[in-house]
Amino acid sequence: MAERVTVTLTLNGERRTFEVPPGRRLLDLLRDDAGLTGSKEGCGAGECGACTVLLDGVPVTSCLVLAASADGHEVVTVEGLLQAGRLHPFQDSLVTRGGVQCGFCTPGIAVTGAAILARGEADPSEQARLLSGNLCRCTGYTKVIEALQDSFAKGGHAKS
Amino acid sequence: MPSRERTRAAGIASDPGPRSTDHGPLGGRHERPDARAKVAGSTRFVADLALPGMLHAALAVSPVPSARLAGLELAAARAVDGVEAVLTAADIPGKNQVGVVFPDQPLLVEDRVRMVGDRFALVAARTPEAAWEAARLVRPLLEELSAVHDPVAALRPGAPPLHEGGNLIRTFKVVRGDVTRERARADVVVEAEYQIGGQEHAYLEPQACLAIPEARERITIITSCQCPFYVQKAVARVLGLPLAAVRVEQAPTGGGFGGKEDYPSEPAACVAVLAFATGKPVRLVLPRELDMQASTKRHTVVVRHRWGADRDGQLCFAEVETVMDAGAYIGLSTVVAERANASSIGPYRVPAVRVATHVAYTNNLFGGAFRGFGAPQVTWAAEATMDKLARRLRMDPLELRRRNVLDDRRRTTSTGQRLPGPVLASECLDRAAALAGWDEFRARSQANSGPVREGMGIGLVLYGCNLHHGGQRLDRSSAVVILQPDGSVVVRVGLTEMGQGNLAAAQTIAAQALGVDPAVVQVWQPDTTTVGDSGPTVASRGAHMSGLAILDAIRRLRTRLDPVAAELLGCRADEVELAGSLASVRGSPERTVPVAQVASEMAARRIEAIATGWHRTRPRRFDPETGIGAPYEFYAIACQIARVKVDSELGLIRVEEVSAAHDVGRVIHRDAMEGQIQGGIVQGMGWAISEELKLDHGRLANPSFTDYTIPTAADAPKVRITVVESEGASGPFGAKGVGEPSLIPTAAAVRNAVCDALGVEIDRLPLTPPTVVAALGDRHPFAWLLSERRVDEHERLATVDRDG
Repeated sequence: MAERVTVTLTLNGERRTFEVPPGRRLLDLLRDDAGLTGSKEGCGAGECGACTVLLDGVPVTSCLVLAASADGHEVVTVEGLLQAGRLHPFQDSLVTRGGVQCGFCTPGIAVTGAAILARGEADPSEQARLLSGNLCRCTGYTKVIEALQDSFAKGGHAKS
Repeated sequence: MPSRERTRAAGIASDPGPRSTDHGPLGGRHERPDARAKVAGSTRFVADLALPGMLHAALAVSPVPSARLAGLELAAARAVDGVEAVLTAADIPGKNQVGVVFPDQPLLVEDRVRMVGDRFALVAARTPEAAWEAARLVRPLLEELSAVHDPVAALRPGAPPLHEGGNLIRTFKVVRGDVTRERARADVVVEAEYQIGGQEHAYLEPQACLAIPEARERITIITSCQCPFYVQKAVARVLGLPLAAVRVEQAPTGGGFGGKEDYPSEPAACVAVLAFATGKPVRLVLPRELDMQASTKRHTVVVRHRWGADRDGQLCFAEVETVMDAGAYIGLSTVVAERANASSIGPYRVPAVRVATHVAYTNNLFGGAFRGFGAPQVTWAAEATMDKLARRLRMDPLELRRRNVLDDRRRTTSTGQRLPGPVLASECLDRAAALAGWDEFRARSQANSGPVREGMGIGLVLYGCNLHHGGQRLDRSSAVVILQPDGSVVVRVGLTEMGQGNLAAAQTIAAQALGVDPAVVQVWQPDTTTVGDSGPTVASRGAHMSGLAILDAIRRLRTRLDPVAAELLGCRADEVELAGSLASVRGSPERTVPVAQVASEMAARRIEAIATGWHRTRPRRFDPETGIGAPYEFYAIACQIARVKVDSELGLIRVEEVSAAHDVGRVIHRDAMEGQIQGGIVQGMGWAISEELKLDHGRLANPSFTDYTIPTAADAPKVRITVVESEGASGPFGAKGVGEPSLIPTAAAVRNAVCDALGVEIDRLPLTPPTVVAALGDRHPFAWLLSERRVDEHERLATVDRDG
């Protein structure tokens, strides 16, 4: 059996331990070992942002993070944005403001957007810049930024 | 949040529109039925599906564009730990053929390689890593052959032929009026040659499919695709099975844009062959690099124009000759060319027209379906020529278009078809111009001498909705509606959701027709065993064709529902009305019974509560030899006006704003409709300025999102939308498709705006910085620094490898 490393992390608020090969990507740990398939692989090269998760509150492309380097850290995936089964305010705004089309980039956008709200960034141009690591080919981004503005207006930044 | 700021960055639509009202959900903004699951990350795409014992597929592909395959060494691949099958052409149980309209494309190479990415062998292994490692170890014995990478050169005598019969696949024509006479009458004539690059779809979800075999008798394919019925035929052919033994279920599809019309049949055929050979489920997810290299692209084309007008700006004649680069196989290229051919003149009245559209084989990327389907390229050329004519005539480009567009009195198109319904070209032009502030912008003395210059440009399109006459046999659709005992409703349609909102449209149409809340209607993605072949989800026909089939099904369902409701209401069946979740008596709105109660009563009485629906387009006359007749059933018109800023030193373009006026007939779902327009504009903008397919001897040199740059949130312009609604279109409740008209005019508007800003003509797409700088020539601010040689160098860099 090939070498394995032990990774212990706080995943969506729960302390979890995994035995993984040293080269395993965080994205594969999430999708294959933890069964959290909400994070998507669109490019495997850190370009598209569909696999974005929060690592200690900071959005990262999990396809470029070694699982082992998450040891001892806190990871939040799109599944972890929901609280008691309720959508995060930004997720809710994406739904009500028509910001979802094919849905493949959406989990990554939801995670990055939650981080933008948590940071208290209200300026739409700056929000667009912060979202520019998340490619979307369907929406043209208009309704995504509208959703950010909407959830900000509803105080989503205070709740996240 | 100050509203001014929101509007600036977010580009709020100008028309807020109603939310769902008492008159039903039509035209409202209720939640899309697929949105909550998608935003929560719980929607299962193909890569999220796994079965016990499932194998992972990988493909061994050609690194060269043209070669003879003398043999394959497979021992090293088969020796990789975890590999269960390495298959070649000889292992295909049925026909080794995946050509969608013409049988020129083998699934696996037998003896001849014609493009980079041609498949040699299929691998199935227990992990994706093992599968791709084995695929890398497949060693082809290749004798390289000469290749051709320029479609124009491919048509010359002596060019290396890709297939028997030479490289000219087909020529389409439009021949109408006396060009010689009209040319003599013209006061100004514009001649131009446009080099128009292709485009990668860049759907966020790569191509993916899963095959589940049942012995060697039947198979289920779950796939990310636009056209499950295409996949069904392809799989049946490679496995040698009857269609009924192949069940294709469309998985949630992470973007298509045409890229999942024809191409998904290929990966599906691959996993089907592997699944039959191993007896196990097999899943394939293409890595992004291979996906970008091997999948279809928007066609690269060359368009030559000679158009003339009299001194009043009335068009006299238009001559168009287009050469399309099909790549190594026909795929859908002839069908794309058919649309390009019919769309070459745009919404203009021209007494004499000559169009020729040639389709050529080359050893380049594989041309296929892409949002607009040949129309964006010829529209870009037509709109560029209209602006050139305006400049020659010293006429406002808006005015020149107003003088030439089709209208209610003069409604005969360039193919001799009388347009049905109101012709809204002038209306769209005027509405977009008002939204953009066209007159004010032109009146303002623009400070266009500094390094950053501003410009405004128009793009106008006449889009033939649904399939071309040549594809009429496919232009039908199927729906199934089931009224459940609790009053909820199941809808199945044969057209697919790929992000564009077909589920929302189908749900809205069904809810409107049954008078129920959209939330009680569940639309399920198609499966070839539950609905009839409805053709492809393309040509902006999804909402139209599924909607009319749903209305037909509901009409049939009501022949059984209305009598039951009438009995409960104490009226005649023909007096029953459905609205607001209630059945009521016409003229006595106080006498009601809930639709859910009628459903429950139907169940109690064991009355058939399932109905099928069908729709087919009306037959039309069209002569393929002359291109004259009615290529399309009806048309949509759209006008977009772009405002840009151009850094004339660096050649960088910023699209500030796009104002869009769309003739949509009737809005079905407002958010989905706006989303189509906003998304189409940004995708069209990417094609216009930044998305460049760089070819190195037929190999894509930039197969990544770092090197092939699609627009980000920071690049998105402000989008203003105005919809022009009208009565009389043949779609459900009078709706017309919007998916493609949203993209087609954008690049033309951007090109015309950039040329307006700089005062030069740019006849090459995309307008990358080197192209813009080269076009400025000695008008570049640093022309004195940039020698002729260095500008040539820019040009060369911009186009390197286009010709190999």
